[in-house]
Amino acid sequence: MSDGDPLLRLDGVRAGYGETQVLDGVSLDVNRGETVALIGRNGVGKTTTLRTILGAVTPTAGTVRYDGEDVTGLGPIETVRRGVGLVPEERRVFPGLTVEENLAVGRYGGSETANRRDPEEVLETFENLGRRRRSRGTDLSGGEQQMLAIGRALVAGADLLLLDEPTEGLAPLIVDRVSELIREINEEGITVLLVEQNVAVALSLADRVYILDRGRVVFEGAPAELEANESVMERHLGVTV
Amino acid sequence: MSAATTLLEQVLNGLTIGMVYVLLAAGLSIIFGVMDVINFAHGEFFALGAYVGLSVALATGSGGFWVALLVAPLLVGLVGAGVERFTIRPLYGRNPLYHILLTFGLVLIFKDVITLIWGQQPYQFAKPPLLSGTVTLFGFDYALYSYFVIGIGALIALGTWLALTRTRYGLVIRAGSMDRDMVRYLGIDIDRYYTIVFAFGAMLAAVGGVVLAGRQNVAPGMGNAVIIPAFIVVVLGGLGSFRGAVVGGLLIGVIQTFVRSQFPFLEGLAVFLLMIAVLLLRPQGLFGNPEWGTGGEGGDLLTAGDADVFDSALKRRIGVGLVGVLAVTPLLIGLPSYYVNTLVVNILIWALFALSLDFVMGYAGLVSLGHVLFYGVGAYATVLAVMHLVPSLFVALAVGIAVSAVIAWVVGYLSIRVSGVYFSMITLAFAELFFSAVFKLEWAGSSDGLFGFDPVYGLFAGPSVGSIELVGGVSVFYYVVLAAVVGSYLLARQVMRAPFGSVLQAIRESELRTGFIGYDVTVYKRRAFVVSGGLAGLAGGLAAVQTGGVSPEFLAWIRSGEVIVMTILGGMGTLYGPMLGAGVYLVSKELLLGITEQWQGVLGLIFVLFVIFVPRGLVSLPGLLAGRFDRSPGGGTDVLAEEETEVTD
Repeated sequence: MSDGDPLLRLDGVRAGYGETQVLDGVSLDVNRGETVALIGRNGVGKTTTLRTILGAVTPTAGTVRYDGEDVTGLGPIETVRRGVGLVPEERRVFPGLTVEENLAVGRYGGSETANRRDPEEVLETFENLGRRRRSRGTDLSGGEQQMLAIGRALVAGADLLLLDEPTEGLAPLIVDRVSELIREINEEGITVLLVEQNVAVALSLADRVYILDRGRVVFEGAPAELEANESVMERHLGVTV
Repeated sequence: MSAATTLLEQVLNGLTIGMVYVLLAAGLSIIFGVMDVINFAHGEFFALGAYVGLSVALATGSGGFWVALLVAPLLVGLVGAGVERFTIRPLYGRNPLYHILLTFGLVLIFKDVITLIWGQQPYQFAKPPLLSGTVTLFGFDYALYSYFVIGIGALIALGTWLALTRTRYGLVIRAGSMDRDMVRYLGIDIDRYYTIVFAFGAMLAAVGGVVLAGRQNVAPGMGNAVIIPAFIVVVLGGLGSFRGAVVGGLLIGVIQTFVRSQFPFLEGLAVFLLMIAVLLLRPQGLFGNPEWGTGGEGGDLLTAGDADVFDSALKRRIGVGLVGVLAVTPLLIGLPSYYVNTLVVNILIWALFALSLDFVMGYAGLVSLGHVLFYGVGAYATVLAVMHLVPSLFVALAVGIAVSAVIAWVVGYLSIRVSGVYFSMITLAFAELFFSAVFKLEWAGSSDGLFGFDPVYGLFAGPSVGSIELVGGVSVFYYVVLAAVVGSYLLARQVMRAPFGSVLQAIRESELRTGFIGYDVTVYKRRAFVVSGGLAGLAGGLAAVQTGGVSPEFLAWIRSGEVIVMTILGGMGTLYGPMLGAGVYLVSKELLLGITEQWQGVLGLIFVLFVIFVPRGLVSLPGLLAGRFDRSPGGGTDVLAEEETEVTD
């Protein structure tokens, strides 16, 4: 396959939990090297979209293609082994394991991609984690936990990194650092799909933006286009930037 | 011997038995931590280890003990791997209750397999000459074998700890016990580790079995005898905590030994009191951390309420017809009195007991593992009332109901505040507490029980005119039981149709949401528990009259297990399902008794298959067979599919 094809393509994906349908035909593309942001109000299906890409939720209709192959319904383990990484909502750092051990778990899983980082490398780059390598996950601050969750995904190795609300609940100063980190990761060649409540952060990082509303994509375009389109912002996000 | 050496000897005795507990509890605890499985069959791995060790030692002659110590755990580990793969595995994703039920069925199977192979008689395990005799350390004589047990236990605990903390497998297993799904999201197939963990746990238990066999007899009940203390250890140390299992095991061993010698009247009680206190004050145990639990895969309890194919008019006709048949059964000429006055009466009494359990388990989601407590207390209270209070059966039964209800209120008041698995454990502890206590109470007949009270009002004779019996072999008591059971069923059904019942079912579906609507969930659960306790007490009272007395057997935990088996077998959450389950269970038992001595094992096997394939019970069977429930959510065939209940985003 050529590099011109998207790394990730969702086509008419419908999915939900039990009887509750959350995604009502979501289609979106993420190209190699891009940072794409998925934004929208609470409960419109952003996290479900990420979970479906990862394979944790099996769609009732539609397909998920990754790197040219149909990965629909493969399940999270196989999807991750193909090079999809997840930094989940609320970070989900292993609370009783130390920083080093958290990274080591990533090392024992994941995929053998060229983007795979060594735990030591991560501890050097994220110097605040390096200083706390023997602290337990539960003893870290929110910002440190976020860094660790990202670091763990890098150690597991990902060509496509799914980030679910990475700045949620962080102090403004830390938000800036996490944003900077995401930008660096992307510059080093990892494709990023970002779900964010913080629209300003999302627009500052993204090459392209999708807005999700009630399980459907209602807008797709560059951040600048969205900023220029106040009615879309009002209607689907309820914000003005 | 001086006081100091006596003390030292007791500590060493305590540590010796404590080490055996550590070997058992470590596996039990890790298995729970990683897989959320409460393994009642763990004691049977222990027993199997001892028996296999025995056979291996006998076959290999001198030095056989050492071969046994190596080979038996490996073989039992293989058995454990098979058990995980074929019985435990299909149930991941369901409520942890189903693993309790499944492993209870496995206990029945293992026990009978053991007696089938090795028989009932106890064996003596020859200690190797190397470990016999006593040694003198610091001027103090003590059995070498005990030092050996302590040493090998410590060595294995240390090795397990190193494996958990220093190896790749250990790290993934620890991570999995904290957040199983996140491990999967890192691309690690955690399910593959489950077999290893389970097999390893079984191996540790088997080592415990072999080691203890060098100290005491090898007998069929040895698994049963250690499983409850092992649970106490795990609860005390903290479910899922290895450190807790080690500290808890040694602590319980020492406490038991001390209580036995210093406060003999508390023997058997102290550990249960301790367990209850820990569960009430610090449910997560000494070293457990409630925030680290996964809790991600706790599915719903599978009730049969919506898997029912018959409409209510048909059910009513079946019900009325059945009661009609039961009413005339004693009049059928030619039917041996045994079937009427023993089998049918027993079925009716157990049906009532199962009904009482369904009332809380199937409707309020309270999985009581100690329901035999209310049954037993009802039995004792009824008998004591007849003997000392009034010579009226009806008053005595009322006393039984009242006392059981009061005890249920107290137990419910204390234990309903803790949830899920902890609730199950605390009810088990209360039941065991009473079971142990009754042996100490002379006015309750101690281990002999109370027998030989007067059959009141001639209830056991048939109606007669003058000296002519109208119907041979029919007792009025049969009708008393029938009326009590039918009346209780109608009462329970009425309660469930009332708003009270709706609230209970709402609690079972979602406790949180029911609370948000404004109901005081705890109060409703407690009330249901009191009603259930009263009904169980009635069942116990009737059973005591039927038996002609009461003994500690009425409080044995195996009966709690049996009544749960009946409830699930029939289909919980329907009231009549569990009653049907009681009938099928006892009739099967009756039939199997005629064919094989291993009836419990066969029943256990049937039960295991039911838990795996028909979790909604017999009541759901017609629907399953007809395949009519393919599309209805949560019913019929998709029972076996893992359902994501968590809603995010």
